[in-house]
Amino acid sequence: MGSRGFPVRRTLTGYAFLAPSLLGVIGFLLVPVLVVIGISLHRWDLVSPARWVGLDNYAALLDDLAFWQSLLITGMFVALVVPAQVVLGLLTAVLLDRRLPGSVVFRTVFVLPWISAPLALGVVWRWIFDPSDGALNAFTGVRVEWLSDPDLALPAVVVATVWQHVGYVALFFLAGLAGIPAQFPEAARIDGANAGQVFRRITLPLLRPTMFFVVVTGLLTTFQTFDTVYAMTQGGPAGATDVIASLIYREAFTNFRMGRAAAMSVVLLLLLITVTVAQQLYFRKRTTYEVS
Amino acid sequence: MSRRIANVVTYLLLGIGAVITLAPYLLSVQTSLKTPEQFAAASPLAPPSPVSAGSYAELVVGDHTLVPPLVITVQVVILVVLGQLTCSVLAAYAFARLDFPGRDLLFWVYLGTLMVPLAATLVPRFVLVSGLGLRDTFWGIVLPTLFGSPYAVFLLRQFFRGIPTELLDAARIDGAGHPRVLRHVILPLSRPVLATLLIITVVAHWNEFLWPLVVTSSERWQVLTVAVSALQSQYHGNWTLVMAATTLATLPLLVLFVLFQRHIVKSITITGMK
Repeated sequence: MGSRGFPVRRTLTGYAFLAPSLLGVIGFLLVPVLVVIGISLHRWDLVSPARWVGLDNYAALLDDLAFWQSLLITGMFVALVVPAQVVLGLLTAVLLDRRLPGSVVFRTVFVLPWISAPLALGVVWRWIFDPSDGALNAFTGVRVEWLSDPDLALPAVVVATVWQHVGYVALFFLAGLAGIPAQFPEAARIDGANAGQVFRRITLPLLRPTMFFVVVTGLLTTFQTFDTVYAMTQGGPAGATDVIASLIYREAFTNFRMGRAAAMSVVLLLLLITVTVAQQLYFRKRTTYEVS
Repeated sequence: MSRRIANVVTYLLLGIGAVITLAPYLLSVQTSLKTPEQFAAASPLAPPSPVSAGSYAELVVGDHTLVPPLVITVQVVILVVLGQLTCSVLAAYAFARLDFPGRDLLFWVYLGTLMVPLAATLVPRFVLVSGLGLRDTFWGIVLPTLFGSPYAVFLLRQFFRGIPTELLDAARIDGAGHPRVLRHVILPLSRPVLATLLIITVVAHWNEFLWPLVVTSSERWQVLTVAVSALQSQYHGNWTLVMAATTLATLPLLVLFVLFQRHIVKSITITGMK
């Protein structure tokens, strides 16, 4: 609160600095949220004029099996990916944190998938899982229809997604581990705790802020997965990998049912807000961390 | 003794992890160096003999050249990086160092928008950009992210607040206006966080796929990811060509990463903590 100019002048200065960014936030984040609600109350194919239908699109979603299946698949996808990448990321971080010679090289290798386009990696995994020309079946010698079997396609996409995220998650845990003062585990060890006890009782509780960050960002990104699915299966076979972002994309830009896609978007938005708020409440009770 | 066993197990597990991480890259590069005939004749795991650069020639000077998408992608990334950093720095300065009515409320709005997923705003963004007459144009790709991201503003604000007030007050007393304080005091001190944002923004926009896919329809404005995806669906089964394309699309960032490895790893973790 250093400067004491005229209030009007201070206000103008503040908004002048804020203006370009505010334009973007209003124009491409806030207005779209309002517009998407508006579109969801219409029937519209982008060509003929939009027609007001009230809540019909939402009512139709209730009876729409594909939509419910998509929500279920998204839920399963998130429930498989997030715990897997958190556990593997933590394990990787613990191994790297022993700081044996060469750890830096391993760390570099593990982060590579995070740097690469999910779309391009999805295409690579599509080839790996290809039944006749793919690397995996050639390696095992057994022909498995990974991506065209409805029971195997989702696990295959999960593997590709977890593979992409583990190193990135590990980096955060590594930073979290580095922040734990060495006295704490040492004191416990002197008191006779074994390695497992030290990890469970000392290290894990102290990693809670990191855990919070990793779980929240993991959920938010995994809920919106699109590129990997689009590259590997396009939502198939028989909708087995049709996560919500993939369904919205197809409804809007292949079937041109904008109203319906907008209604789905609103549901997705509400879902994500609920999940985020619930998590904040859950973790806030158990963590102290600073917002400002 | 037990320490020795622990070390062996550590290396073993890290080694397995490294093999699993690298295998998809190495296998795709290996495939990209075969001719389609070699690929069809032997196991997908067989090394190329002889090595053939035919697929790459095809993608650089041939009918399926990826050079125009590469140029578009580079332009998009440069513009978005410049736009985002400039707008976010200005906004973060206002939030961190200026006092004006509505500031805290607006900051909470910014934080709230972090929850808005791209998938949910895809339809209205498309409608807005089409309304501006920018569907299937270069500016249509760039515009929605040009004005900075709330995330960047958030990060920068945290950093700016950590700079000692005395430094800024001293500059103000010497008669420096806000723009000068920002340029000559804050920015030089903020190099680490600016480097972080630079890296994150470059990676995010080099790899961006969904929005360019939606907003462009002609080949002319294809970015790299969209071009690779189009190639994949058009030449489904022609894996030697497709793997060369994915290699070309990922290689530039991988090279940058290995060069600036230490810096990037530090950057990624700055963003999450504190």
